[in-house]
Amino acid sequence: MLLQTQVAEEVLARAVSTGADFGEIFMEDQTGQNIILRSGRIETVSSGRTHGAGIRIFVGTRAIYVYTNDTSREGLLACAEKAAAAVNQGTGCKTVPFRVTHAERPEEIPQLPTDVATDRKAEKLREADRAARAYSDEIAQVQIRYLDRVQDVLICNTEGTFVTDRRVYTRMAVSAVASDGKENQSGSMSPGGLMGFEAFEKRIDPAYCGREAARQAVTMLHAPVCPAGVFPVVIDNGFGGVIFHEACGHSLEATSVAYGISEFSGRLGEMIAAPCVTAIDDGTILNEWGSTHVDDEGMPTGKLVLIDHGRLVNYMIDKLGSRRMKMPPTGSGRRESYAWAPTSRMRNTYIAAGEDDEAAMIAEMKEGLYAKYMGGGSVNPATGEFNFAVNEGYWVRDGKIVHPVRGASLIGRGSDVIMKIDRVGRDCRQAQGMCGSISGSIPVNVGQPMIRVSSLTVGGR
Amino acid sequence: MNVQEFMDRLLRTAGKNGIDPAEIYYTDADSFSANAQDTEIDSYEVSSSCSLSIRGSVNGKMGYASTEAFDEEALAYLIRAVKESAALNEAEEQDEIYAGDESYPEIETEEDDLDSVSAEEKLQMALTAEKASREADPRIKQSEGATIQTSVFHAVMRNTHGLKLENARKLYVAYASPIAKDGDATATGFKMKYGRKLRELDPVRLGREAAADAVSQLHAEPVASGEYRIIIRYDAMQSLLSTFVGIFSAENAQQKMSLLAGREGEEIASRVVSITDDPLRKGGLATSSFDGEGSAAFTKAVVDKGVLKTLLHNRRTAKKQGVKTTGNARRAGGMHVAPTNFYLEPGEKTLEELLRDMGDGLLITDVSGLHAGANPISGDFSLLAKGFVIRGGQQAEPVERITVAGNFYQLLKSIRAVGCDLEFPGSAIGSPSVDAGVMAVSGK
Repeated sequence: MLLQTQVAEEVLARAVSTGADFGEIFMEDQTGQNIILRSGRIETVSSGRTHGAGIRIFVGTRAIYVYTNDTSREGLLACAEKAAAAVNQGTGCKTVPFRVTHAERPEEIPQLPTDVATDRKAEKLREADRAARAYSDEIAQVQIRYLDRVQDVLICNTEGTFVTDRRVYTRMAVSAVASDGKENQSGSMSPGGLMGFEAFEKRIDPAYCGREAARQAVTMLHAPVCPAGVFPVVIDNGFGGVIFHEACGHSLEATSVAYGISEFSGRLGEMIAAPCVTAIDDGTILNEWGSTHVDDEGMPTGKLVLIDHGRLVNYMIDKLGSRRMKMPPTGSGRRESYAWAPTSRMRNTYIAAGEDDEAAMIAEMKEGLYAKYMGGGSVNPATGEFNFAVNEGYWVRDGKIVHPVRGASLIGRGSDVIMKIDRVGRDCRQAQGMCGSISGSIPVNVGQPMIRVSSLTVGGR
Repeated sequence: MNVQEFMDRLLRTAGKNGIDPAEIYYTDADSFSANAQDTEIDSYEVSSSCSLSIRGSVNGKMGYASTEAFDEEALAYLIRAVKESAALNEAEEQDEIYAGDESYPEIETEEDDLDSVSAEEKLQMALTAEKASREADPRIKQSEGATIQTSVFHAVMRNTHGLKLENARKLYVAYASPIAKDGDATATGFKMKYGRKLRELDPVRLGREAAADAVSQLHAEPVASGEYRIIIRYDAMQSLLSTFVGIFSAENAQQKMSLLAGREGEEIASRVVSITDDPLRKGGLATSSFDGEGSAAFTKAVVDKGVLKTLLHNRRTAKKQGVKTTGNARRAGGMHVAPTNFYLEPGEKTLEELLRDMGDGLLITDVSGLHAGANPISGDFSLLAKGFVIRGGQQAEPVERITVAGNFYQLLKSIRAVGCDLEFPGSAIGSPSVDAGVMAVSGK
């Protein structure tokens, strides 16, 4: 147990003693390992332990957050004192006796990373490296990162929540650089899961990742620059889902909706997307990178339909957002670590499978871009302006793929682009990413089947 | 146990376990942040945190570990992790633990008032800035808040060669992000200030400038796709330089991740481009008398009138290339290379003069999505941008939803003029505005 219930009670009582109407402790002990292979050699192995606690109190819709590494009773009380000092309006709220629970964890972790010898992990990196280098003589460099995390958390609050959870993550990221001496191009693959080292049996194939990253890099090295202009764009499944994540997902988080800032504020029940679009944020998918057991506010996770056949039906809401919006929270409160106050965030967010034929989507598009692998992106939720990179793209003319193109990016306005989705394919896939926002960088999945957007601004040269 | 005791015991225990030499890097930080939104204090954050990393050599191989807990368990964990890490280290060139230089430069520290400003005063400043934004223009209807942050940072480096170095930094950062609306048009504004004397901050001015920024962007539209004459304002250019700064790292060059490898002495940029790395810059965010492995810091020209003078080195990369370290070691897991206060040297013309010289074209004031739309390995970028149409040297209508595309290596060569308005927008990396020549724009 990270924290005894009596100490927790005492700390919470102190935190709310000056008039807060809610108090919470988030305590964390995390062990992680990073391994970096470059130039064919294991270059750095670093292990780290993250340890600390954050105390949060609310006064209406005002939030006060204090965090520390000193998790002794005295350290936590000092922290509670600092939080309480920010409020001065009474004697504090009632506290509900704790219901001590452990989060339900549906996945089994047969090989906890902390129990696996580091050289076994290193061998996986070597395997990916060999495959990438074997792909082509033009591969000038391969960099591979392995990471694992075992995060033990305890979340308790004045509403009686006292829950412990363990989150185990494993991921490998391969980046290959192809060069002809004058120019460099890169390719990458970064699969991961809410899994232990067994991820390498079930999900992560190092040789495949190495080859795929190398293939992308070499393909892009020989690709001309993407033309600029407004075109129809077909976006492939898997990481292609980053378009929904950026164009729409962030703007459905209470972080912007609760303040009326989002372009989707106040539009519940309206048709905000084309009727072929159903979008879901699901924390319950077994072993997925963005899945959760309980959120970082202690609420059990769930599956949330955001857009149902074009109609906006739900927002993603954390506790504070819930107070502002006067709507129940959705288990969406997440944070990078104790050093961040939680806010509403995505989990595994994807466009659900539709009924359109993938081959016909390209055949019927005349001239445009086929984006096979997407890179990351960003959005300004207030204006809805988004952008993201196309890591591997192909130019389509007369409905046929004619050649690869490099350096493309896609920009637009979220509310506009989700109206312009005119085809949704049948094969929905998930892919892993890190998402950054005001509560830090957290693991999320993006996902979709192949989709087509009837017109989108393609940035190129 | 207290941290001092923990560090003493850790260095002793390391030696007993065959980790020799060994080095500790300890940091502690205190921070405060308050955000005003919708005319009230919406969030308030206080923190104190510390962390310790250790590296040590086992049979000539370096191992690394870090912790935020300081108990018996953490001590045993660090020793075990360093040994395990070292055992797997296959790097051809190993980092060394350095006994230190004979002397270190004096850093001129700026006075600060951060300890004397109360939490209440900081809250008032945030509220004042947010209110000033709202009152500046009737079209400011909302805000993403106004924030005042202060932080105190302290670092200690100790090793078994007897080296002990310390560094401390204090800072405030203040910013306002109002939202302007007019009919269907929405635009976000942003203005940031930072420094060491919080009482010298004028929160009303901060709020008003942020409001003016938002309003100026209302009703922005894309321009037609094509090639345009482009001036990149200091803040957008700073974003680009920050994204591509890694090309100046000898570590990246040696790993074939930078096309500047082996090009010292060659012309890699236009004659108007000079770039400096200055760890001694007064008030800089990366100012320090020593680098991540204890080498004395010094100021150096990286690019002088277009010619690449040196890449940035730590002791390992310098040794490999047969040169001296430039004092740019950075700890991050292992030992890497990073710039300190790194900037494009200013020229003589004001932004207005640059615009007048250009005549017709675009002024780019913001680029976004750099983590995705810019590829630090190829130098290619294609970025969502905002700015203004420039007509006859004058700022005309606002522009948004365009991309500006190019290649950073080529951009360095095509810069025609550099402005005098060098700024470090809340960063150790700085730039003035530049006349970037002709670039490809994708719009409508």
